[in-house]
Amino acid sequence: MISIRNLSKHFGDLVVLKDISTDIKKGEVISIIGPSGTGKSTFLRCLNLLETPTGGEILIDGLSLLDKKSDVPKIRQKMGMVFQSFNLYSHLTILENLTIGPVKLLKKGRDETNKKAFELLKLVGLAEKAYSFPDELSGGQKQRVAIARCMAMEPEILLFDEPTSALDPTMVSEVLSVIRRLVREGMTMVIVTHEMEFARNISSRVFYMDQGVIYEEGTPEQIFDNPQKERTKTFIHRIRSLTHHISSKDYDLYALQGEVETFCEKHMLSKKESDYLALITEEVLCLQSDFSDIDLSLSYSEKDGTLEFVCASKGTPLNPLEEGVADDDIGLRLIKSRCKSVGYKYENGKNILMLTVKGE
Amino acid sequence: MNVNVVISSDYSIISVEGRVDTTNANEFEKAVMEVVASGINRIILDCSGLNYISSSGLRVFLIVQKKMMASKGELRLCSLQPGIQEIFDISGFTSIFSIYPDKDLALK
Repeated sequence: MISIRNLSKHFGDLVVLKDISTDIKKGEVISIIGPSGTGKSTFLRCLNLLETPTGGEILIDGLSLLDKKSDVPKIRQKMGMVFQSFNLYSHLTILENLTIGPVKLLKKGRDETNKKAFELLKLVGLAEKAYSFPDELSGGQKQRVAIARCMAMEPEILLFDEPTSALDPTMVSEVLSVIRRLVREGMTMVIVTHEMEFARNISSRVFYMDQGVIYEEGTPEQIFDNPQKERTKTFIHRIRSLTHHISSKDYDLYALQGEVETFCEKHMLSKKESDYLALITEEVLCLQSDFSDIDLSLSYSEKDGTLEFVCASKGTPLNPLEEGVADDDIGLRLIKSRCKSVGYKYENGKNILMLTVKGE
Repeated sequence: MNVNVVISSDYSIISVEGRVDTTNANEFEKAVMEVVASGINRIILDCSGLNYISSSGLRVFLIVQKKMMASKGELRLCSLQPGIQEIFDISGFTSIFSIYPDKDLALK
């Protein structure tokens, strides 16, 4: 239904979309997730030419949106878009907001249009507000009207640009339930959203966008339960991390432990976890023999509370966590007592220790 | 880290405050071993102000204990904060040292 080939968008020197290619089939519900400023909304706006792509091709049912010979307004009519900020006509009643498009653009009759508008208002639970003005409605109600107005144009594809971002949290669910209802009716949809549970429940596919590309895509299960790529994992598991490089035996232990403590405070980790990490940091470094190239990283998953400490040290293969390798086992005992699990691997010339720190 | 020494004809008291870690373990060892080397063979290590110890610090305690035992002296530890006590438990040091809840009991 929608074929996107090598789509790119630049704003001056700023590259927002880079060479995106994908296909969206009829009846699919695509959720686009990802950090802010990674091109999600721009991608959506390029699909119906609210932004003009810098390069590439967009085909809707085989017709090119960017070909000058195409009847672009006709192709665009296949798509309706719901914005974050509703964009209703404030001087028109709700009913008029729904009928103005079909009457003026689709040249439909007033009676037919009114009948359809009432059906749609019933669908979004707002039939009794037909003669109200937008300013008399709550944010959630306005957004439901915006969805009904889109539907009044009988689009084949609905594009949602963060439809709940501007809403009070109490109003989010009413809008999401209207969208769910449209999903059940088999509407093709592309939704940019920060509502992860919603995206998981309604999508047939999820695009994780990062740095202007579809960095990873898959079913909701693949993306939310088993993301494969590093940045997707970081986003999905809401991983916060701290990294520190050591290149000399004279590293500053106090500065390093200070960074760890600040990290723990920032992410509301307990004093116990902070103390454990301070000790683990020192003990792991005590086990090292080559200080020329050590990378330490600390990752905290806000999603499941996992706290991981990784030490990657350049050198010949040697597992310092193995008993008998160090002069005594005091450090090793302390490390093991503070960790749920300890692991070792040798990769790319580095001895890598992977520790999962005990929590509360 | 601060180390204070009070010499007495009975038990001399060495108080350690702050941290004993990789960075300052040698300094701590030097300060305690100076007392041991002076012939004093009944020592209480007051740990009430000790709030962090790593394996490097524990090794110094072990060295001092070995030295005291070799000279038939006696080393007592007292007033370990709960976190420090836990480190001693984990590392198996609780069974190596005579540990007292406070200085008064250690002096008896």
